[in-house]
Amino acid sequence: MSRLSWIKTALEVGVVTKKYPFERVEVPDGFRGLPIFDSGKCIGCTACANVCTPDAIKVVNDFTNGFRRIEYRLGKCIFCGRCADVCPVSAITITKEFELAYTGDVINAIEIKFIKCVQCGQYYTVSRHLKHVSSKLNDEALEGVDICPDCRRRSNINSLIHASGVFR
Amino acid sequence: MRSNIILGRGDLEVIEMLNKYLIDKIVGIRNVGDGKLIIDVKPNNLVDVVNVVTDKLGGIFVTIVGNDARSIDNSFHNIYVFSLDSLKTYLLIRVKLDPESPKINSITHIVKGADWGEREVRDLLGINMVNHPDPRRLILPDGWPEGINPLKKEFAHSIRPELNNSECYVPLRSDDVVALPYGPYHPLLHEPEYFELHIKGETVVGVEYRGFHVHRGIEKLGESRLTYNQVPFVAERICGICGFVHNVCYCQAIENAAKIEVPERAHYIRSIILEIERLHSHLLWLGVACHILGFDTGFMHAWRIREPIMNLAEALTGNRKNYGLNLVGGVRRDINKDSSARISKLLKDIKHEYDRFISSLTAVKEVIRRLEGSGLLPKPEAISYGVVGPVARGSALKRDVRVDHPYAAYKDVSFKVPTYSECDNMSRLMVRVDEVYESISIIEQLIDRLPGGSILAENAEVPEYREGFSGIEAPRGEDFHYVLTGRFSKVYRWRVRAPTYNNIPALKVMLHEVPLSDAPLTIASIDPCFSCTDRLLVFDVDKGKKFKVSYKALASGWKP
Amino acid sequence: MNIYKKSIWVFHLNTGGCNSCDIEILDVLTPYHDVERFGIKLVASPRHADALLLTGPVTKEILPKVIDALLAVPEPKLVIAIGSCTTGGGIWYDTYSTIGGLNELYKVLKEEYGVPEPSTVKIPGCPPKPESIIYGIALALGVVQQKVTTTTARVE
Repeated sequence: MSRLSWIKTALEVGVVTKKYPFERVEVPDGFRGLPIFDSGKCIGCTACANVCTPDAIKVVNDFTNGFRRIEYRLGKCIFCGRCADVCPVSAITITKEFELAYTGDVINAIEIKFIKCVQCGQYYTVSRHLKHVSSKLNDEALEGVDICPDCRRRSNINSLIHASGVFR
Repeated sequence: MRSNIILGRGDLEVIEMLNKYLIDKIVGIRNVGDGKLIIDVKPNNLVDVVNVVTDKLGGIFVTIVGNDARSIDNSFHNIYVFSLDSLKTYLLIRVKLDPESPKINSITHIVKGADWGEREVRDLLGINMVNHPDPRRLILPDGWPEGINPLKKEFAHSIRPELNNSECYVPLRSDDVVALPYGPYHPLLHEPEYFELHIKGETVVGVEYRGFHVHRGIEKLGESRLTYNQVPFVAERICGICGFVHNVCYCQAIENAAKIEVPERAHYIRSIILEIERLHSHLLWLGVACHILGFDTGFMHAWRIREPIMNLAEALTGNRKNYGLNLVGGVRRDINKDSSARISKLLKDIKHEYDRFISSLTAVKEVIRRLEGSGLLPKPEAISYGVVGPVARGSALKRDVRVDHPYAAYKDVSFKVPTYSECDNMSRLMVRVDEVYESISIIEQLIDRLPGGSILAENAEVPEYREGFSGIEAPRGEDFHYVLTGRFSKVYRWRVRAPTYNNIPALKVMLHEVPLSDAPLTIASIDPCFSCTDRLLVFDVDKGKKFKVSYKALASGWKP
Repeated sequence: MNIYKKSIWVFHLNTGGCNSCDIEILDVLTPYHDVERFGIKLVASPRHADALLLTGPVTKEILPKVIDALLAVPEPKLVIAIGSCTTGGGIWYDTYSTIGGLNELYKVLKEEYGVPEPSTVKIPGCPPKPESIIYGIALALGVVQQKVTTTTARVE
């Protein structure tokens, strides 16, 4: 073995350099690139925000203007794909996109309208989430889903008091 | 009390020996798994117990875990971790300290490696180390206000106190040496760290190290904002090169604490990815070593061979690094038949390429002459510093967590632990060279025997206030994680001890009397990973005088 | 942004990151990606550099050193922020010993030194693929168009 073996190796291996960016590169299946949020499917349940380790997905509840804002900050994302794992309606897809460089800030947001409680008239949840949950419940459990938790608690207490007969 | 616990053979031997030597000093004893013992002792007996453990039981110091347990039993805990390699057991010695003014005798005079651990506990928990030789700050940034200890539970992880900018780092050095700054940004360092080489003529006589530039508050973060299944992703980002090791180690510690049965297939997949990571890490190191020697041809070829391994990792896990594969209880992604075939084929190619690379590299006389005989670390010194990984094996110390404390699927495979007795940079290089072959063989065996079944334990529940720990052989040596589970699916205490933590102190020996031109290579020969370690250590060869030096002065050609 | 008519030389500055972005930066210099074919060269001093490759969330300990290095790069300078830690603070965006990424660094730069933001390209990823880094540099040079944009969808 002499030092010339390096030259021999180099000649045998040849050029390995990829042509990128003049040629597209193949990304393997299962590569975790940019997550895409389907605003048509999203029910605003915030499961993705709960598992997001760097808090790249954030939920802001705007009760005065009546919408829930689900914000995805590209700059913070670590591309772990946990959000797509936990999404109950598969609204998040992990794409193979890796050409993500940007200037300024990139924030993708979905704003979902709240609905109002039929009793007190306050915003309390997003209608899509309510519909999703309702579709999994039987009729008995569905009673009172259109009332906000506060009103429901109040009415429950009232009915308990009535049932106990203390204030007849 | 002992009726419902499993005791390994090693445990029984350890208990027998503890009964023999320390029967009157132990207050409590508990077993948290095969080869995992925790004993409680009174604070004033600690020094005696540590003496017995190191002398009679052959304990090698691993780390200190400090814990603010005031909300559990109104005391601070200090846990001293020892590895009893020959008995295949980890022995943890716990002392409970006063909640108001916690203090404990230092054990640094018995165990040299305890220096860092004790100062870390003092910095982060405010526990007073009586008789500790070095009163300086270890972890927190210069100018951090006195009396604020980040790991105390009343400190919220997001508080950012104002720093006092006039305070600066104080190196120790004697008058008759020249101080040569190496860092914080230096072409041969990829991470911001500051070494101050003390030279007489052309010879290095001492070195000072100011780390902690990469201290990101990971342990606190894991204990505050995050839940169990979020911590693996943070653990992975402790280190970008051997991150999967931390990831697995954390998960195994939690699984040990919660007694979760991990499916066999998950164990195998973890081991395969761990070995793939070792392959990439060792090739990376070989390349960097060539680069430091000025032999860039070797660097380019090593990295060329490494690239298909990165692509393989990407195909298996979805990312080239920071794989994000683990959850508590198993793994997220399976290895299918196509992937196994691909791995086998790739390993063959790599073996061929690697053979050619190594035989060409060893034919370059200049490289070999630079490596041989430089950076000596004799075996007795290696034992006293408790070095780990290739550094230990390069000094004829046969230490390997995969053999000493088997985990994941390593009990099912056979492999050699390469050791070399020349104790120089060359033997550390040769250990890594041989380990690449062993890793390839381990992956082949694992792929052949990959069992079927699920990959994630179902309904993994984590109970409150249970403790567990785990050790793993990282490419750089032993990695150790300790966890105490808490309430509301959060970790109460999470302690990480990265391999470089134990190896850096030994640089004092390796760098003594070496020519200056060999110093960068010798520093690189321990394969330092500062983002893992990020601690500060000072070695003063001659007892030094104190100087104040700011980084600004350094930048503008500061002179002593 | 096309102020760099000639080859750009880069200085690599790790501000407390985990290393994975740093090894990917080294990776783009090795045979498979070889950015030296575009004239991009890693230099040993910020004074020789046109662009600064920043990785890491900027820890408190390293902050003054980063600012010094940033100010040492001659004008017109370009900052290429690589990895999620730098672009948005990453996982450590709110911990006690970091300042939380590039935006906070620019705030400090503006408030304490009166220096305006240098032109910046951010490459998210944890770590970004070597190809992403090449794409980011191409974006900085004005060769390609930005693909990702801010969107807001309002639904019922």
